[in-house]
Amino acid sequence: MRRPRAILLGLSLAFGAPPAHAQSIVTSAGPDDVDVTIYRAPGRSARTPLDLQWLNGYALISETRRIAIPAGESDIRFEGVAGGILPQSAIVTGFPDGIVERNRDAYLLSANSLIDRSLGRRVHLRRTSSATGAVTEQEAVIRSGADGALVLQTPEGFEALRCTGLRETPIFAQVPAGLSARPTLSVRTRSSRAIAATVTLSYLSSGFDWQANYVANLSADGTRVDLFAWVTLASSDETSFRNADTQAVAGRLNRERVDREEREEANLQLRCWPSLRTHHIPLQSSEPPEGDSRRRNMVMNSPVAVTSVGSEDIVLTGTRIPPPETLGDLKLYRIPEPVTVAANSQKQVAFLEQNGVAVRTLYRQRLDPEEDGSTQRATRVLVTRNRTEEGLGLPLPAGRVQLFALAGGRPILLGEGSLDDRAVGEDVEIVIGEAPGVISRIEDIAWGDDWQDHVLTVTNDSPAPVRYEAEFDVVEGDILRPRARLSRRNGRPLWAVTVPANGTATLRYRLVDSDD
Amino acid sequence: MRAVILLSALLATPALAQNTIPPPSQNAQGDVAVTIYNGDLALVQDTRQLNIPAGRSRQEFPDVSAQIRPETVTLSGAGVGVVEQNFDFDLLSPQALMQKAVGETITLIRTNPATGAEVRERARVLAANGGVVLQIGDRIEVLRDDGLPVRVIFDRVPENLRARPTLSVTVQSEGAGRRPVTLTYLSAGLGWSADYVALFDENAGRMDVQGWITLTNNSGTPFVNANTLLVAGAPGGGNGGYQRRGGPIRQPGTETSDRERLGDFYLYPLPERTTIANRQTKQVSFLDVHATPAARAYEYRNGWLGTTEQPMSANTVLRFSSSREQGLGDALPAGTVRVYQRDARGNPQFVGESAIGHTPMGSDLGLTTGQAFDVKVRAVVERRERVNSERWRTTMRYTLTNARPQPVTVDLMQGGLWGDTRIAEESMASERRSADEALWRVLVPANGEAVVTATFDTRF
Repeated sequence: MRRPRAILLGLSLAFGAPPAHAQSIVTSAGPDDVDVTIYRAPGRSARTPLDLQWLNGYALISETRRIAIPAGESDIRFEGVAGGILPQSAIVTGFPDGIVERNRDAYLLSANSLIDRSLGRRVHLRRTSSATGAVTEQEAVIRSGADGALVLQTPEGFEALRCTGLRETPIFAQVPAGLSARPTLSVRTRSSRAIAATVTLSYLSSGFDWQANYVANLSADGTRVDLFAWVTLASSDETSFRNADTQAVAGRLNRERVDREEREEANLQLRCWPSLRTHHIPLQSSEPPEGDSRRRNMVMNSPVAVTSVGSEDIVLTGTRIPPPETLGDLKLYRIPEPVTVAANSQKQVAFLEQNGVAVRTLYRQRLDPEEDGSTQRATRVLVTRNRTEEGLGLPLPAGRVQLFALAGGRPILLGEGSLDDRAVGEDVEIVIGEAPGVISRIEDIAWGDDWQDHVLTVTNDSPAPVRYEAEFDVVEGDILRPRARLSRRNGRPLWAVTVPANGTATLRYRLVDSDD
Repeated sequence: MRAVILLSALLATPALAQNTIPPPSQNAQGDVAVTIYNGDLALVQDTRQLNIPAGRSRQEFPDVSAQIRPETVTLSGAGVGVVEQNFDFDLLSPQALMQKAVGETITLIRTNPATGAEVRERARVLAANGGVVLQIGDRIEVLRDDGLPVRVIFDRVPENLRARPTLSVTVQSEGAGRRPVTLTYLSAGLGWSADYVALFDENAGRMDVQGWITLTNNSGTPFVNANTLLVAGAPGGGNGGYQRRGGPIRQPGTETSDRERLGDFYLYPLPERTTIANRQTKQVSFLDVHATPAARAYEYRNGWLGTTEQPMSANTVLRFSSSREQGLGDALPAGTVRVYQRDARGNPQFVGESAIGHTPMGSDLGLTTGQAFDVKVRAVVERRERVNSERWRTTMRYTLTNARPQPVTVDLMQGGLWGDTRIAEESMASERRSADEALWRVLVPANGEAVVTATFDTRF
C-alpha cells in the first residue's frame, strides 16, 4: 500500500530546490545521567509558601546521553526533556563534528495534532454498523485544515466526519513526521563517520521552585533556639529525573521576559453544519435558541492532555546537605547523593541543624507620634546575628520560619515568620507575629500654638519583663523633643525600654512644628 | 419504488470510482527565500515553476504564509502581467460546505438502525440556518430531525472554500509555457532574536561566548528548504532603542563589524538551506568566541531620600567589551545573554541573564545578571534639617557589607540630585557623573564593612 515512505518521498521530491538530504533519525529516549539545579521564583517573597500548582521558579537541567551518530546527516531527537524547556537556552556539546541546527517543535503527538497535521493526508475511514457490527473501510483524503472542521474526500464525494450519527473514525497509516509523545528537542548534525558519542544537553526549564523551611524550638528561658531547616524542592513538570545530582541555588538572578513557545495542546473542536432539529425549537418562541444550537454543534470535544498536579508526592529524605558553595555571587546547596526529582512532586532534604542559637525577643513598633487615643499591639521579633558567636555563621537562604516552644511536654506553635537571604555577619530578625499582651497607647496631654505634648504608654501583661522598641515616624519639618534620651535607628528616633513584668512604661515627648 | 428511481438517478450522476481520489496535496512552494526582521516581520520570496497559458488565466498559489499581508504581494515572471489578485480565506468546514450548498443537490445515505441497510436519496438544500432544511422529491424535511444516522455527500467543494488561506492571481501572459514566476510578500508570524551563552571564569577574568540565532515560526505555514537571511533591525519600527540608566550599553561602540551590511542593518545569512516548520523554534550558531576579557562588578543605586529597612543586595554586573581588540569582536544582535559559571565540581551552573539591544562593535557592556548574596548596602537618611526657607540639609549614611573572603569594590550611586544640589560633606570623594548622580567607588574589605556618609545641600 502507499504508506509512510511513499508520502514522505512524494513530499521531498516535490520541491524544486535540491532534494532534502537523505537523513536518518536517531531517537534518544532519555538521559543516562542527569543533573538538576533548581532556582527560586524571582518574584516570590520569603513569606509566600510554594504553590505546587503554580511554581514560578525554574531549573537548569544538564543531561548526558550516549548516542550512536550515523555517518552523514542525521536528526538526533532528545526525548524526555522537561516539558517546560526553554529551547532558546539549550546548550548541546559533544558532537564530534558540531551541529548544523537545533529544533524544537511545539507539537506533541495527541488526538488533536494527529488530525491537525493530517491535512491532505490519505486516511482510512472505518465505519461500524450499530445494527450488525459490520465494519466497512474506505479510503479518504482529509481536505480541510483542522480549524474547526474535518472534511473528507471519499470515492463518493465530500463528507464531514462526525456529522452523520454513524460510528466512524479516521485511521492513520503513520504518525506524521516529527510528532513525539514526549517533549523533544532535536539536533541536526553531520558526521564524517558513524561514531558513538557522549553528548551533553543543558537547558533551563520552568515549573520548578524551592525554598528553605526553618523550624525553631525556643528554650524555656527564651534565650536560645534549636534551629533546624529543610530545603524544599518542588517540580510541577511532567518529566521525572531519576537519580539526579541535585542542587538548589540561593540569591537573586536577573531573568528576562522571553516568549516561550507554549506546547501545542490546541483545544481542537470539530464542528458540524447547523444541526438544529424541530424538537429543539422552544414553544412560544419565534427565535431559534442560538446558544443551544451552538452547543450542540460541538459534536466532539477532542480529549486534551490534562496536566493535572493532583497527585503530588511529598518526599522527605534522610540525607543532609553540606554547607553551600559559593557560585559567583550565589550560594549553591548540593544534595550529597543522587535523588529522583519526580514529576509533580515536592521533596525535602535537611540542610541545617544548629542547636543553642542565642536569640533575643523584642517587641517592636513603628508609631506615628501624632497619634491620639488609639492603641496598637506590638510585633514580636526574634533577633540574632548570623555569626559563630551566636551559634550560626552560615549563609541562610530565604524561607518561612515556624517558632515552637514546649508547654507541658509538647510543642506549641508560637508563630510563623519568614527570613530573607541572610549572609554571614548580618543581623537576623524574624517577625513572629503580633503580641496580644504588649500594647501601646498615645494620648495628647497639652498643646500650644506650634507644639503638642504626648504620652506613650506601653503595657505588658506577661509575668516577665519584655524588651520594647518604638521607632517614631516624624513628619518632615516637625521636631520630636522627648523627656527621656532617645537613640536613632534608620534615621528615626528610637525609644528602647524594658517594660517590667505585669507593668507599664511611659515616654513623654513634645512635637514642635518648625515650619513657620 | 421511489428509492429505486432515486438510486438510478444517483447512478446517472458522475459516481467516482475507488481509485479516482486525487492524490494527497503536496507542498506547492518553490524555491523559497525568507528574510526575517526583528519586529515580527518577514519578507518571503517564492519562485515557482508554473505552466501559464497565453492570454488571461487565473493562477493559484497555495502554501503561502497564513499570515501573509496580501496588499504587499508582487508577482514577476517573463512576459507575465498581473490583472488582479485575490486572497481567499473562506475556510473549508462542514458548516461552510453546507451553507454554500444551499440550492444545490446533495446525496443522502440513510442507514436503518435495525438492519444496517442503506438507502440513497438525492436532496436539494433549501436552507442551512440553525438546522438544515432539505427538499427530497416533493417533500420537505429537516436533516436528521429523527436523530437517525444519515451520511451527507457533496459532489464537489466550492472553488473558494480552502483548507488554508490561498492567494490567487489573474495574469495576462504573452506566451504559453512553463516558466519561473516569483512571488514576493511580507508576512507576520516569523521572528528571530539572538541567544548568547556566556561561560564566565571569574578567577581567570575570561569568558567564552557562543551566539545562537533563535528563529520562531508562528505563521501557520512551514517554509520548506528555505534560503534564510536574518536582518538585525526592524524597518520603520523600533522604539528608538531606549535604554534606562544602568542598561547594558555603557559606552556605545564605533567599530564596524566584518559582517555583511545593508543600509543600517547587519545581515546574518544562515549557512545552508533549512526547513522552518510551523510552531518550531530553530537555532543556528553564529558566534563563538573564547577567552574574551570579562570582570565582575557590583553596583547599587539609591533613590533620593531612600531609606532601606533591610540591607539590600548590590547588583552583580558582568563587564566586557564587544571591541575587536579586547572583546567579542562583533556587532551583537539584540537578544538575551545567559551567564554560566562552573561550580566546585566543574559543572556549568546558570547565574543569571540579561537582555541586550542591538549593540555596535566596540561597545562597553555591563550586564546586570542578578543580586549578590554576600554584598549588601543599607542606605539610611540620618538627618534632614531645614536650613532656611530655601535650603535643606540631608545627611545620608550608607553601610556596605561584604561576606565574601575577598575584598570587593562597589559602585555606590546616589540619584535624584538634580538642580543646584551641592555635596557639603562626604566621608570619601565622590565623582559627579551627572547633575543627577554622585558615585563613590567603595572598597569593602573581605568579610567586613565600609561606611560612607554624605551631607547634601538641596533646594528640596
